Amino acid sequence: MPIDITVTIGGTAGQGIQTVGDLLAGACHRSGLYLMVVNDFESRIRGGHSFMQIRISDQPVAAPYHKVHLLVALNQETYDRHRAAMDTSGVILLDQEEAASEKSALAVPFTRLAKDAGGKIMANTVAAGACLGLLGAPESIIKEVLKERFGEKEAVFENNLNAARKGYDAVKDETVDWRIDWPDEESKGRLLSGSRALALGALAADCRLAAFYPMSPSTGIMINLAEFVGKAPLVVEQAEDEIAAVNMVVGAAFAGVRAMTATSGGGFSLMTEGLGLAAITETPIVIINAQRPGPATGLPTRTAQGDLQFVIHASQDEFPRFVIAPQSINQAFETVIRAFHLAEKYQVPVIILVDQYFNDSLFIAPEKLKVPEQIDRFLTTDADMAAPPAYKRFALSESGASPRALPCRDKALVTVTANEHGEDGHISEAVADRNNMVNKRMAKTKNMRNEMQPPDPYFGDSETLLVGWGSADGAIREAVDRLRNENFDVGGLVFSDLWPFPEATVYEALSKCKRFFTVELNSSSQLGWLIREQTGLKFAGAIVKYDGRPFLPNEVAVQAQKMMGGRDDRR
Amino acid sequence: MTDVKAYDCDYENKWCPGCGNFGILNAMKKALADQEIPPDRVLIVSGIGQAGKTPHFLKCNYFHGLHGRAVPVATGAKLANHDLNILVNMGDGDCYGEGGNHLLAAIRRNIDITLLVHNNMVYGLTKGQASPTSAHGFVTKAQPQGVAGEALNPLALAISQGAGFVARGYNGKMEHLSRLIREGMRHKGLSLIDILQVCVSFNHVNTAGFYNERVYELDESEYPVDDWHRAMDTARIWGDRIPIGIFYKKETESYTDRLAGLKDGPLVNRQFDPARVAALISDS
Repeated sequence: MPIDITVTIGGTAGQGIQTVGDLLAGACHRSGLYLMVVNDFESRIRGGHSFMQIRISDQPVAAPYHKVHLLVALNQETYDRHRAAMDTSGVILLDQEEAASEKSALAVPFTRLAKDAGGKIMANTVAAGACLGLLGAPESIIKEVLKERFGEKEAVFENNLNAARKGYDAVKDETVDWRIDWPDEESKGRLLSGSRALALGALAADCRLAAFYPMSPSTGIMINLAEFVGKAPLVVEQAEDEIAAVNMVVGAAFAGVRAMTATSGGGFSLMTEGLGLAAITETPIVIINAQRPGPATGLPTRTAQGDLQFVIHASQDEFPRFVIAPQSINQAFETVIRAFHLAEKYQVPVIILVDQYFNDSLFIAPEKLKVPEQIDRFLTTDADMAAPPAYKRFALSESGASPRALPCRDKALVTVTANEHGEDGHISEAVADRNNMVNKRMAKTKNMRNEMQPPDPYFGDSETLLVGWGSADGAIREAVDRLRNENFDVGGLVFSDLWPFPEATVYEALSKCKRFFTVELNSSSQLGWLIREQTGLKFAGAIVKYDGRPFLPNEVAVQAQKMMGGRDDRR
Repeated sequence: MTDVKAYDCDYENKWCPGCGNFGILNAMKKALADQEIPPDRVLIVSGIGQAGKTPHFLKCNYFHGLHGRAVPVATGAKLANHDLNILVNMGDGDCYGEGGNHLLAAIRRNIDITLLVHNNMVYGLTKGQASPTSAHGFVTKAQPQGVAGEALNPLALAISQGAGFVARGYNGKMEHLSRLIREGMRHKGLSLIDILQVCVSFNHVNTAGFYNERVYELDESEYPVDDWHRAMDTARIWGDRIPIGIFYKKETESYTDRLAGLKDGPLVNRQFDPARVAALISDS
């Protein structure tokens, strides 16, 4: 029987949800199961309601499931909130004190057993042991995951092992429908959060200055990157505000290192003038925007895809930029490497669009994380010039990019300004200079568009296509699978490369289908309108969601089915 | 000694005739020449306003950025390459208004850049509105009843926050100013030089006559530059007598000397080592 089990662990912030979840996820990971973990929390440090959802499978999983098989309720609220989502075969695991009279509820005295094992603090370890017991995990796994977590601290390890075993034993006589036949295989790849994959990508890309101002859900990227300071040529600088962060990045890139910042929509709003600064000075920078719902403060710890049209147009007037939204954990790592390459090749800003769901969730990275053998910097030195004193930073060229020298490296003087300028980087209001510089900057678009990967088809020849971008990828694919299992002629088309818009390949991919629906975490279907604007093709409907929660494949499938209406879409 | 003419550039100057900026520009050139720093070893970062245009008018590498944001650009450049000699030209509105938060952060960091604030107490490029250093009651077209607030005291602010090099110059004392700039550049850490600058077009109060009557040089043989309390008191002197000179000086470790990531030399000079990075990633 295929394995597809969802375990939800819920409680108040600070109650130790993470402990239970990490132990469980660690056990699945090391046994060679596929899994993903979604973290759902409120914007507070203590209290409230948080939960961690682990989906375990023998197949790759890239979206959360809509039903819960095992609910670990560390408090009554968890029980009340999640009861409705329980699968018919589901079991609710409760501390005895919280015991409810429901048939599916299984009371295990976590706290009392923890006290017996040496301390109330280990109640979560007892719960983890009970989960593993219900899931049918071999007892030896408990020891392995605890050793990994507590290492050499012998007494702590022993006590926790004892606690976990008590939980494990407490449920050993229970039978559930979804007991797993545990494999004993190599892990299916590294288990990484989106934030960590992006940080590792920055390291692999030879990013040397990362400046930021803390803002959920982008901060995790910098926390992950800070771990490598002192081990690699890298400075992670917490700036005084987002405006400073982006300007530092521009200054560092101008002076010759690869530099980036990460923020969310509010911080990106503050960075928009700096974005224009990078554009007019043709300084290569990378900005990661981890989206959350807005406007203004919005929902700080929730997810959204509401900034697409914003980042494409952000900052006054017009200039070329790249916008890329990775679809998967491996692609996120590669996107950062690619972003720096593109930024330097074209001397333009690159914006990477991710979101809270992607950054805070853990996914298996099936591919190895590959570091580039060499880094092309697209720089020029005096040696490349006939006459260094005559060097002009903004020399006109057909491609739009001019030879880029670094300041104070050679005799060539590097002179740039945020004012409109002549080729020599001096302020100019001359009509010819203005026209030349706008034309030069915009000329880059042609070659930039050729760098764009076409949207990624999934049964792309189908009659109906579900079209989305970035982290909606997993939910769209799974919704397509579900609909195809029910004989609907449905496929998917998911974008990572959004700007410059890959108009020709999009037209080609969409003109064959009978109709397409967009699937986006915003209220107006921003990608849908972008497609309409760029190709003239109109989406037949939009599956949108803006409650701050990620897409569930089931809801996408149900919506799509509804929108196909009475028409016979079955093959 | 380098000839100051080495810094001359043929780009047309765009300041008003008689502008105080000319004195500042000459003082900068002299300070660079005295230290024998050739144009290709100087990076000037500037903001927006008449002061922000300064680097266009001498031979150097420059980054002429946004209003208020020269300090973070300079900070980023210094973090990327801490061997750079970085001068920053900003105006009073630029540095103390739009960029105020960056000034506070630069003081906290003690980043080794030399910050020259052309303080004419008025917005010149936008034609004469009040600035953060305009005196209470200063009348402009935008403040016809006079400025209702009080003027910022940038020196007292910087000294109070522990800035390690705080000085005031005057565009009418070019030699003295060039000495301050030279000392500021030699100082390891942030140097703030507030420069009294005459605006012939929009400030008819703080004129050359006004300053020439009042300005006096602190007597270096008598004035202890490391006395914080004395510096605070001196920074509050403003009226019939206006002191110029180094108000406070105390060297502490500069920011780039404190960072673990910079121990092995400037970031820009380091080699990319794919094997090492791959190992870091797989071991993490």
